[in-house]
Amino acid sequence: MLSFIIRRLAVAIPTLLILVVFSYVIMYAAPGGPFDMERALPQEVMDNLNAKYGLDKPLVVQMFNYVYNVVVHFDFGPSYMYKNQTVNDIIAQGFPVTLTYGFWSFVVAVVVGMSLGVMAAIYHNSWLDYLAVGISIGAQVLPNFVMAPILVLVFTLWLGWLPGGGWQGGQWQYVIMPVIALSTSFMASIARLTRSSMLEVLNANYIRTARAKGLPMRRVIFRHALKPALLPVVSYLGPAFVAMITGSVVVDMYFSTGGIGVFFVNSALNRDYSVIMGITILTGALTILFNLVVDILYAWIDPKIRY
Amino acid sequence: MILNRAKAKELETAQIGAEIEGRSLWADARIRFFRNKAAVGGLIILILVGLFAAFGQHMTPWSNEEVDWAVLGQVDTMGRPSFESKHYFGTDDLGRDLFARTVQGTQISLMVGLIGALIAVVVGTVYGATAGYHGGRIDNVMMRIVDVMLSIPYMFVLILLLVIFGRSVLMLFVGIGLISWLDMARIARGQTLSIKNKEFVEAAHAIGVRPSTIIRRHIVPNLLGVVIVYATLLVPTMIIFESFISFLGLGVQEPATSWGALISEGAKQMQYGTLWMLLYPLFFFVITLFAFFFVGDGLRDALDPKDR
Amino acid sequence: MALLEIKDLTVKFETNDGIVSAVNGVSFNVREGDTLAIVGESGSGKSQTAFAAIGLLARNGHATGSVKWDGQEILNLPEAKLNRIRADEIAMIFQDPMTSLNPFLKVSDQMEEVLTLHRGMSRKQARAECVRMLDAVRIPDAAARITMYPHEFSGGMRQRIMIAMSLLCRPRLLIADEPTTALDVTVQAQIMDLLRDIQAEFNTAMILITHDLGIVAGSCERTMVMYGGRIMERGTTAEIFANPTHPYTLGLLDAVPRLDRKEDTLPTIPGEPPDMLRGFRGCPFEPRCPKAIERCKAEAPALERVSETRVRACHRSPEEVA
Repeated sequence: MLSFIIRRLAVAIPTLLILVVFSYVIMYAAPGGPFDMERALPQEVMDNLNAKYGLDKPLVVQMFNYVYNVVVHFDFGPSYMYKNQTVNDIIAQGFPVTLTYGFWSFVVAVVVGMSLGVMAAIYHNSWLDYLAVGISIGAQVLPNFVMAPILVLVFTLWLGWLPGGGWQGGQWQYVIMPVIALSTSFMASIARLTRSSMLEVLNANYIRTARAKGLPMRRVIFRHALKPALLPVVSYLGPAFVAMITGSVVVDMYFSTGGIGVFFVNSALNRDYSVIMGITILTGALTILFNLVVDILYAWIDPKIRY
Repeated sequence: MILNRAKAKELETAQIGAEIEGRSLWADARIRFFRNKAAVGGLIILILVGLFAAFGQHMTPWSNEEVDWAVLGQVDTMGRPSFESKHYFGTDDLGRDLFARTVQGTQISLMVGLIGALIAVVVGTVYGATAGYHGGRIDNVMMRIVDVMLSIPYMFVLILLLVIFGRSVLMLFVGIGLISWLDMARIARGQTLSIKNKEFVEAAHAIGVRPSTIIRRHIVPNLLGVVIVYATLLVPTMIIFESFISFLGLGVQEPATSWGALISEGAKQMQYGTLWMLLYPLFFFVITLFAFFFVGDGLRDALDPKDR
Repeated sequence: MALLEIKDLTVKFETNDGIVSAVNGVSFNVREGDTLAIVGESGSGKSQTAFAAIGLLARNGHATGSVKWDGQEILNLPEAKLNRIRADEIAMIFQDPMTSLNPFLKVSDQMEEVLTLHRGMSRKQARAECVRMLDAVRIPDAAARITMYPHEFSGGMRQRIMIAMSLLCRPRLLIADEPTTALDVTVQAQIMDLLRDIQAEFNTAMILITHDLGIVAGSCERTMVMYGGRIMERGTTAEIFANPTHPYTLGLLDAVPRLDRKEDTLPTIPGEPPDMLRGFRGCPFEPRCPKAIERCKAEAPALERVSETRVRACHRSPEEVA
């Protein structure tokens, strides 16, 4: 098991490095820098600024310094745009918010999606199945940026039940809509995937064996069918996680939750390179870590996988 | 965004097209497809939306950038959808005709969808088929690269690209297409692997047919079914991609627009009671996606008749 | 009294392409300690007959007729009631040992649950009993290997595990559905020997479902030949082999390779197994039958008793066939 994890890490770390180098090179190659203002600054001011941030050194040196600081000091450097704030400050400010609603969205998508899928498969061709299929078909045309305005329209403007935005330290009224907006389409995909894989498993020979053994249906499903049916769903969790991180940008923009997504878009528009880099690397690392967890989970469920 | 990952997984192992003789398969599939009401309905909707995008502009006196000074400032009353003012869908908050803007947005969104899917399908199929056909170490390295790229938060990279190299529609096409070929590559590889081991390919090998000929004559035609199905499902994914980017204000630039941009603008104006600004583009967005999904599912079921 | 009494069993499947009649009015009995072979090629309805009897049909399947176990009607009983009979009184082993064991659970977990459920044993007792049974089916080092996963065993070993698992509750009837088809020839013989020994040891009644007449000869008292969802002929195995009275049985016997014949090629039955989607007006075997007459097309032959032990369904007389 340990060597399995080590081998996975051996792939993960280069991946992260490639991401860092790639982003850095793109930004270096891009025309224009963070200090290109409407009015050109005097040359010596530019030189001073560049020197202060180390932008006058060759690419390789800059990159090395950057990676060195990130890895050794966990320091992503200062922000170019938000004066007096470092990238670390910004992450510390936005990340907990993103993590909070991201976590709940993930839980909702996985728990509701899987339950819906399993129920639909067990009661194949019943009204419950049709309902589940209907929901999952309907939800696939409702990505987060469509769900968000619809939710606000219904629950804030029409019903007046929930606030249309803000965070307020994560009180539940402020968390509900971001979570629903972010989780709906994934919930649907997970339900769909679970249903079709559960249906396939229920037709497997070993399920017939289990039934021939006189096991009650509940035991057949939970003990014999659930694990194999959830395997394909587990391998879908990695990509779903990536997409949820991406979706957080919309949530932050639309609900003004103050997560890292809004910082990312603002920095992107203002060429605040260090913030972009910081967030890209952070999410990249998170994604890779999550994929590692998924791989381990997969190996743990499927006895045929050798570590 | 990755709604289709689930379907992509299914397609990796789907038994589409293989083994059955060419012509009868396609004829069979056509019959089965046209028996599927949802798929046919989807096809009709797609044709209608296509016609709307192509000829809609001729039905209105307004263009997508022209401001109707008569309604500006009182959009919430004067800008309502009405036939008298010839603003069939009303106007947006700047007094521009929403019908014309929707027509133009539909054009962009459909185009991004189709071209993005085309790029993804071509790159992905060639890459995946190559990896699958060669197998062994080449396959290993090639698919590892795909795995690595799949674990990168691609949307962030795309946003990065758009910001740094300027927000152009071309960049959007290329960026979206280049990011989305990964799943296609996996599917194509999976299918190639299974086709490669089929008797007729081994037989061709045994009688000394050259690899390039085998790929052209045997592998590609058998891949075609899966590729077509996936391409149909990719188009809506691409449309969602583009809309997502445009929703963030990073996509097409004014005065040009797209569904995502229109939905975003409509959503911002919602609290003033001008709901039509959100609902018209949303309607087109939703029915088109539905239609594509139904057609895609219909094609899959027609080509791979297996109860799911 | 008969242990298992099947009367007029019919099984239909609803599929996208129409209704498939897999079994058409099959009747037979199995007594205590009896051994019956059901023989036929794939699609003859032999497996579905057994599945229908203990309620294991696929979702789209539907059975009518009567199945009595120990004098009680069990056809289409609710799952909960059937579960008391399954494994406890009627056990089943399946064709493909590779896929019939759950690949995600240890062998011990899969076996023990039978005993904890039906016999109310503690896990410890159950484990001991399972190891004993694995020893009985000659799995070496059973105590250690029982905690392994199915994929760590060979095909033959897995089938032994299946057999051991089916015998845990000492069932009165064992239904073996093509138990050797997926195995190597040498392993096939071992498994058949094992089944024979076990049958003798526990005095379990057995239904052996197979397409291979070769393995029937030494292991079953009686043989029933099925085709197109119908019974073609039934009798003692000795009679059927020595004196087949149905053209289909004749064809099957000719197709068994034998050392005492000199031909270079094995005779086969020309034509294809019937398409069960379209029903038959006449005898299902008629299109492939060398002895068919006009009447066979129009009218299905009824099952007639020709002797104490023998029934057959054919319009031609036994003399005309042989």
